[in-house]
Order: sequence, then C-alpha cells, then structure tokens
Amino acid sequence: MQHVEIPVIKQHKEKRIKDRVVKIILLSFTLLSSSFIFIVAGTILVKGVTPFITNNNGLGSVSFIPFLTGDTWLIGESFHSNLYSIGFIIASTLMIALLSLVVSFPIGVLTALFIAKVAPKKLANILRTVIELLASIPSIIYGLFGAGIILNLVYNFSAAIGYQSKGGNSMLASILVLAIMTIPTITSISEVAIRSVDKNLEEGSLALGASKTQTHFKVVLFAAKSGIFTSAILGIGRALGEATAVSLVAGGRRSGYSFDLLDTTSTLTTIMLEGMKETIGLDYDIRFSVGIVLIVVIILTNIILNFVKRKVGNVNVK
Amino acid sequence: MKKLFGIILLTLALTLSACTNAEDTFDETKNITVYTRDTTSGTRAGFMEGIGFADAATNDSLLVEGFVIKDNTGIMTSMTTDQFGIGYVSLSSVNDTIKPLSFEGVEPTLAHVINDTYGLKRPFMWMVRDAGDYSSETVEALVNAFVAFLGTTDAQDIINNNGAIGLPATQSWDDIKDDHPVTQQDNTGVVVRFGGSDSIQKVAEALTNSFTSKAGNFTAEHDHTGSGDAYKRTQDPAIKDTSVGKDVGFASRYFKDAEKIGVETSDFGQLAWDAIVAIVHKDNPLNNVTADDLKKIYEGTFATWSDLLD
Repeated sequence: MQHVEIPVIKQHKEKRIKDRVVKIILLSFTLLSSSFIFIVAGTILVKGVTPFITNNNGLGSVSFIPFLTGDTWLIGESFHSNLYSIGFIIASTLMIALLSLVVSFPIGVLTALFIAKVAPKKLANILRTVIELLASIPSIIYGLFGAGIILNLVYNFSAAIGYQSKGGNSMLASILVLAIMTIPTITSISEVAIRSVDKNLEEGSLALGASKTQTHFKVVLFAAKSGIFTSAILGIGRALGEATAVSLVAGGRRSGYSFDLLDTTSTLTTIMLEGMKETIGLDYDIRFSVGIVLIVVIILTNIILNFVKRKVGNVNVK
Repeated sequence: MKKLFGIILLTLALTLSACTNAEDTFDETKNITVYTRDTTSGTRAGFMEGIGFADAATNDSLLVEGFVIKDNTGIMTSMTTDQFGIGYVSLSSVNDTIKPLSFEGVEPTLAHVINDTYGLKRPFMWMVRDAGDYSSETVEALVNAFVAFLGTTDAQDIINNNGAIGLPATQSWDDIKDDHPVTQQDNTGVVVRFGGSDSIQKVAEALTNSFTSKAGNFTAEHDHTGSGDAYKRTQDPAIKDTSVGKDVGFASRYFKDAEKIGVETSDFGQLAWDAIVAIVHKDNPLNNVTADDLKKIYEGTFATWSDLLD
C-alpha cells in the first residue's frame, strides 16, 4: 500500500522541524553569551595566577601571603622586583566602599520615600526622570566633576578645620564621589520596592491612628526592607568596582595602612588602572592578580550581604 | 529636626567661611605636598635624572612618604588649588594658571632650552645602522631619507605638537625630497624597523605616520623597549642581526661612551629636547630651585616650606 501523507500530519511535521531549528538557534546564542563569562574569568584566572607560580623572567615568583597582607605596593625598582603587596589597599577599598554606603544609603532611601509616597504625582515623575538621568551619566564625568569641584571643597574644608590635606586628594573625596554615583542606583531600586508595598498594610496602619510619617517609617520602609537591602547590595557593588572616577581624586597612595580620611588613598581598582597602559611583564600580570582579589572581595561582600538580607527577613509584597 | 538643621547650617558656614577667607601671607610652617607622575612615566625618569635622583625614577620607596600620584594634567590642576604643593610637568604644558620655577637660576623658556642654558631637560637621540648593513638598499635609502626628514620644519612641527621641543630647522621636506628619489617610488611591502626608548614612542610614531605617506607608503614597524636597546639593536654585533634587530633606534638620553664604539658619527644624532619644569601654586613665594633643593624635597629631607625658603 502506498504511503500517503495526510495534509494535517505534514503541517505537524513542518512545525516540529521549525520548532527544533529555533531551539537550536536559541541554544547556540545562549551558549555564546554564557561562554563569555567563562572566557573572561578563565583569562583573568590564568594570567592572575602566573605571577605566583612562574619565575617571571628571572624576577622570582611572588609570595602569596605577603601579597595579601603587606603594606607597600612595590618594594624596590619597577621591573626589577617581585615584592608586590596589596594588604593596605584591600583595607582602604573596604573602608571606602562601606563609608560611601553610609553616606549614600540614607540619602538614597529617603529620596526614594519622598518620590514614591510624599511627592505629588507630577513632581514624582519629574524626579524619577532626573534620577534615571543621573544613573546613566558615565563614571568619567563624575570623575571630572570630582577632580574639579570636590577636590576644592575637601581642600577648603580641611583648611577650615586646620588640617593640611594634599590638594584635596583624599579618602574623603573618593567617598564623596562614590556616594554621589551610587545614590541614583539606591534611589531607583528602593523606590520600586517602596511602591510595591501592599496598600493594605499602609491603610491598616493609618486606620489604626498612626500619622503618615509614622506609617512611612515604621510600616512602609519596614515592609520594603528586602528591596531596599537589594539596592544597598547593588550600590556597594558599584562602589567597589569604580575605577576611573576614584583614580582622579584618590591620590595614588603606594604604601602604608592608613585610615585617615583626609590622607591620600588607593583602591584595588585604581592600583590596577594607574600606569597600566605603559607597563609590561610582571608589573602588567600582577594587575590581573589584583583583579582576582577584587572579584573575590566582591563575591564575598555579596554573599555576606545576601546572608544578612535573608536573616533580616521578608514581608509579603504585592 | 531643629538640631539637625543647626548642624547642617554650621557645617555649611564653616565650609563657606574657608572659601571667603583669603590667605594674604604664605604659611611657611605647612608641609610640602609632593606631587609626582607614576613609575612608568618618561617625564618622571627625565626629572629624576635631571635632579640627580635617578634611583627614584622607577622606585617609589625612595620618595618621601605621602606623595600624591597624578598624571600631567592632574599635576597642573592640583597646583592651581594646592597652595603648598610642588610638582613637575613637561614644558609644553606650562600655562599661566601655575607658577613655573627657574632651575639653577635659568627661566624655563623655549629659547633657554634651545641655547642649552636651561638644565632640566633631556635629549631625544636617534641611532641607525652602519652604511651597507641594511637588509636591502631600499631600506637604507629610506632610513637616510627619514634622518633627513628629521631635520625639516615638517618634522619639527610634528615634534612640537607631541610635547617635545624640536631643534630649529630651516628647510621643509619639499626642499630636500629630490635628494631622496627612493621616496618617489612605490615602497609598499618594504618594512623599516623602529625601536628604542618608549618615552619617545609617541613622537616616533607621529613622525613615521606622517613620513610613510611622503615616502611611498612603506611599513613602519614600532617596537619600543627602552633607551638601552637603541644602540643594542642597531649597532651591537651580538644583537643587531637577530630577530629583534632594528634599523632606527631612539634614546631619551645621550649615548654612553660604550655605545659609541665602532659607530660612525653620521650614524647618530639628536632630534629634539624634552624639557621638564618644576611648578608651584601662584601664591608660593618661591621662584628658583636648584637640583639639590628638588632632590631634598622629593626624598623628604625638606619637610616644610620653611626648610626651603629660609
């Protein structure tokens, strides 16, 4: 008996073939985009580990523990020494990121509260657009702004309190620049979190006699704490990863643990950036090692903050 | 609420009062804030060699503690705010927002650099291979044409535009190009190898970028690895014929005696000066420094401005 294809089955087969082809296309794009993270991570890992395990063209391998705990970027002549260490830079980076969060978090969350709950609708829309514009300004612009205005401000401020700062290049200037950069991030995410708090919670609190302010601070912010915490995590992530803007105001400290707000400083990102374009050999490879340390610091910070976020708990949001 | 408002007002008042308070007298008890370039900078190498502190060119641990690292523009802008700072920039960046210091009594002007009275400078030198020692006659003719090009007004303009100071020239390339007929033929595929100092790389690449189109579009290969390699890769018998050998090498210092052995005087010369100027804030009463003063400032012996001004 001849095999006859009924039209319905033929259409079904065509659709199945099309679906399979599309599935293969989507899969290949996914593989392509996800492979980037492996390529990037792999390159940095390989290049970053070489200073510790190879002889670096006769300079000797870099010792790992002194690298993580030492207090001088490079002891000895450039290109002739393998005594690198970043202990003091790790400490400064963490301090700067935390302090910038201390400055930007209250301002960001309170701005978000104003936009989401207190401002009249038209004003709220304008402010939302302004914050989005601020979030999209490239970091180099913040750096130039910092170098032009904030350095002057910190210099005059420190002269006023009787302390001689180094032209304003200081930890305080870096903290201020980073705070200005992270406020838009914190505000926009917190604002979304605040807006999605269940209206019933708010109305219930008002019905029980609480004032609007009491409701906002004790009920709304508390209910949105999960989203607000997420904004803090993203804010500190941006602060830890910022290179260009900070390098213009930090001052390039090369040795010594320093927790002095008005003294020059360095962060992991700025030490990688400074001098990178004209350097070769071990001096170039060691920056990949610093990159690995930075990635580890960011991952650890994220893990710790996510753990705290889970402990802080979650209130049912719509 | 009122307390918060009061604190904010106080901080604002303190900051603003500092802005309006104009310092009429220069406070000599303040510390000298030392600004420098980072260790990979050629300007830093030139400055440190010029003040007799060559070890500090690539070694941060020899400098005074608490120095500030900035790039060329950063040092300029810092000197406009920091009254108690001192730094150095290349002569071509100096403008009237800061005060340039005289070096050993000589003012930092273009004329003083060219007549060799201003001391804080270093020469940009070139060295080529011996006659007949090239991979082909075309390459040799092109190198000779390039060396002649370095002495033209066209080359001096390019050098001046790239931060160095060209030596005075009288002829333009058009006046002399007929002496080098190799530049009129098609030279695509011919490779001329340039190397030597990395401080000169920017100037060298600008010069070859302009020259290749005037000389038949030959390919200029740049591999800059340090002033020491200028002699080694063009004249040193052990290295010049290996794969890293070069046809033209540049150095940001005079050639040492050991590097002139067996080298014809026509095989090397100077193409430019690179002058460095120490700068301070305009309110600073200092006008002149010696090499010894600068060395003492950068190593930390002079800690406050009174050490230097009295």
